[in-house]
Amino acid sequence: MTAIGRSAAAASRRHRLGLEWLFAAPALLMTLFLGVPVAALIWRALTGDQLADNLTTALVLDALRLSAITSTVTLVIAVLIGTPLAWLLARRDFPGKTLVDMLVDLPIVLPPTVAGVALLVALGRRGVVGETLDEGGVQIAFTTVAVIFAQLFVSAPFYIRTVKAGFEAVEPVYEGIASTLGASPLRSFIRVTLPLAWPSIVAGAILCWARALSELGATLIFAGNLRGETQTMPLAIIAAFESGRSIEVPIALSVILVAAAAILLLLLRVVARTAPAMR
Amino acid sequence: MLRVDIDRRIGDFHLRPQFAASDLVVLFGPSGCGKSLTLQAIAGLLTPDTGRIELPGGRLAFDAAARVDLPPQMRNVGYVVQDLALFPHMTARQNIEFGIAAWPAPRRRERVAHLVSLLGLEGLEDRRPREMSGGQQQRVALARALAAEPSLLLLDEPFSALDAPLRAVLRRELASLRRTLDLTTLFVTHDLNEAYTLADRIVVLDDGAVLQHGSREEIFRRPVSRRVAELVEVRNIIPGVIDAYLEGVAVVRTPWFTARVRDPNAPISGNVYVCVRPEHVLVLREGHEPRHGDVVLDAEIVEEQATSNNHRLYLRVPPVDADLGEPHIIEADVPAHPYEVLGIASRRDWRITLAAEHVTLVPRD
Repeated sequence: MTAIGRSAAAASRRHRLGLEWLFAAPALLMTLFLGVPVAALIWRALTGDQLADNLTTALVLDALRLSAITSTVTLVIAVLIGTPLAWLLARRDFPGKTLVDMLVDLPIVLPPTVAGVALLVALGRRGVVGETLDEGGVQIAFTTVAVIFAQLFVSAPFYIRTVKAGFEAVEPVYEGIASTLGASPLRSFIRVTLPLAWPSIVAGAILCWARALSELGATLIFAGNLRGETQTMPLAIIAAFESGRSIEVPIALSVILVAAAAILLLLLRVVARTAPAMR
Repeated sequence: MLRVDIDRRIGDFHLRPQFAASDLVVLFGPSGCGKSLTLQAIAGLLTPDTGRIELPGGRLAFDAAARVDLPPQMRNVGYVVQDLALFPHMTARQNIEFGIAAWPAPRRRERVAHLVSLLGLEGLEDRRPREMSGGQQQRVALARALAAEPSLLLLDEPFSALDAPLRAVLRRELASLRRTLDLTTLFVTHDLNEAYTLADRIVVLDDGAVLQHGSREEIFRRPVSRRVAELVEVRNIIPGVIDAYLEGVAVVRTPWFTARVRDPNAPISGNVYVCVRPEHVLVLREGHEPRHGDVVLDAEIVEEQATSNNHRLYLRVPPVDADLGEPHIIEADVPAHPYEVLGIASRRDWRITLAAEHVTLVPRD
C-alpha cells in the first residue's frame, strides 16, 4: 500500500469512529441505573424465603383482588365514555373544545396527590357536589368507588389522548366514502373508523390500564388505605412497610406489579407491530 | 340528467359550477379549479351555500330554496376518489359488499359475483387492498362504487396514480364498461389526453366556474375564450384585429399575417385572438403549392422538442412590417414519419401554412 493509501485509510478509520463510541458510556450508565433496581427486586424475590407464602398472604390477596377489579372497571368506563370524547376532539369543532382538550391533558401533568385533593373537594362528604350526594345518602369518598374514580381521573387521559390521535390518523375520506355507500354515520364509525383506529384503541387501553394499576397518590387521599376496600397493591406496599414487619411482603407485591407491567409493555409492542400491517 | 347549479365560498375560493350532464361527461380543468369540490358537493360531502343539485332520474339531492339536502347515504351516488380509499381492513369482497350489506344474502352474492366477473377480479375476492396491484385496487374501487346500482357515477382522477400503459388499458375498459352499464358518469381529470379519449362531452372548469360546455370537438376546435384555448393547449393564440367582415368571412390582421377566417361562432369586429392548434400548422414540402385561402408564412425553426412519435417545432415568423413588432413564435406538431420524409432535421427555413378551416377566433379585450 502506498503512503497516500495508508494515510487515507487511517483518516477513514478516524472519521468513521462514530458518535456511538462517545455515547456508549453514558448510555450504559443510564441502562444500569434503570435495570439494577428491577433486577435486584426480582433476585431478592426469587432467592428470598417463601415468595409463594408471601404472595398468598391475606393482605396481598386482598390487594390483588381489589386492584384487578378496580383497574378493570376503570378501563371499561374509560373506553365507554372516553371513546366518544376522543372522537369529538379528533373530528368536530365545538364551543369550549380548547378547554376540554386542556382538561384532558391536565391530569397527565398534575401530581396525583393534587388530583386526590381535587376529587375530595368535589366529591367528599362536604365537597361541592359530594354534599348534595351525601344528603341523598350517596357516599363516594373512602369507598371502592372512590378508588375507581381516582384511577379514572388520572388514567383516562392516557386513553383519550392515544385514541384521539388514532382517530385523527384515519383519513376522513374513508368515512365520506362509507356514507356515499349508504352507511349511516354510526355504521361508518363502527365498520370503518373503529377498525382503522383499532391499534390506537388497544394501545390507549393498555396505557390506561397500566396507569390505573399503579395509581397511588390520588387513591390515598380520596379513598384512604382500607384493607379489602380501598387498599390496592401500591397502597398495600405502603401499608406493609408501615407495619414494619418485614420487607418480604412489599417485595412480593412489587414483583407482581413488575410482571404485570412487563406483560403490558410486551402487548404494546405486539400491537405496534401489527398496526402497520392493517394499512 | 344530472343538473348542477351551486354556489359555495371557501375562503377566497368561489365555487360556482353550473352544468347539466348525461352519459359520460368529463369535467376538465387545471389543479385547484374546483373539480373535486364539485364532485364532493354532488356526493353530499360538501354543502353548497346556495343552489340546486338534481340527480339523474329527477331526484332532488340539494335545493337551498326548498331546504332539501339529502345526506350522502341517501343519494345513491357511486364515488371513486383519487386515492381510491379502499377500506384497508376489508377484503375485496367485503369492500364491494359494503354498500349492499342490507340486501338479502343470495341477491348480494349474485351481485358481487356479477361485478367480479364484469371487472375481471376473479380469484382476488379474499385479498386485502395491500395485497393487490394498483390496477386491481382500481377495479375493486369501481366495483364497490357500482355495487348498489347507483344512478350516477363520480370518478375523481381515478387513474392518476397508475403508470401510463395501465392507464390506457383502464380507460378503454371504462369506455366499454360504460356502454354496458348505461349510467350517467362524471369523470374528473386535469389530463387533456384522458379528457379527449373518454369524453362525449366536456365541461371546462376554471377557478370555480364553468368556462365552456360542449362536445369534445367543440371544446377542442372552437374554444370560446382565450382561457379555454390555453387549457385545451391550442398553443398558438395570436392577437389580431378584424379589418373587415363579408359574407361570413372575417379578415383578421395580425402583425405577422392576415387571415381570412370562416368561423360562424366568432366575433365579427374588434380585437380578437387567432387560435390554431399546433397539429393544424403544416410544414410545406418544397415546390408544393399551398391551398387557396390558407395563410402561408416563411418561418425558421428555432427550437424543437421530440417525443417518441411527434416533433413539436418552434418556428420564428417575422412581422409583416419590420418596424412594427417583434418576430412571433408559432408552434407546429409534425408526426415522426412526415418529419423524416420532409427532412426537417436538415433544414431550418420552411414555408408553413395555417389550415384555414381550423383557424378560429376568440374575443380579446
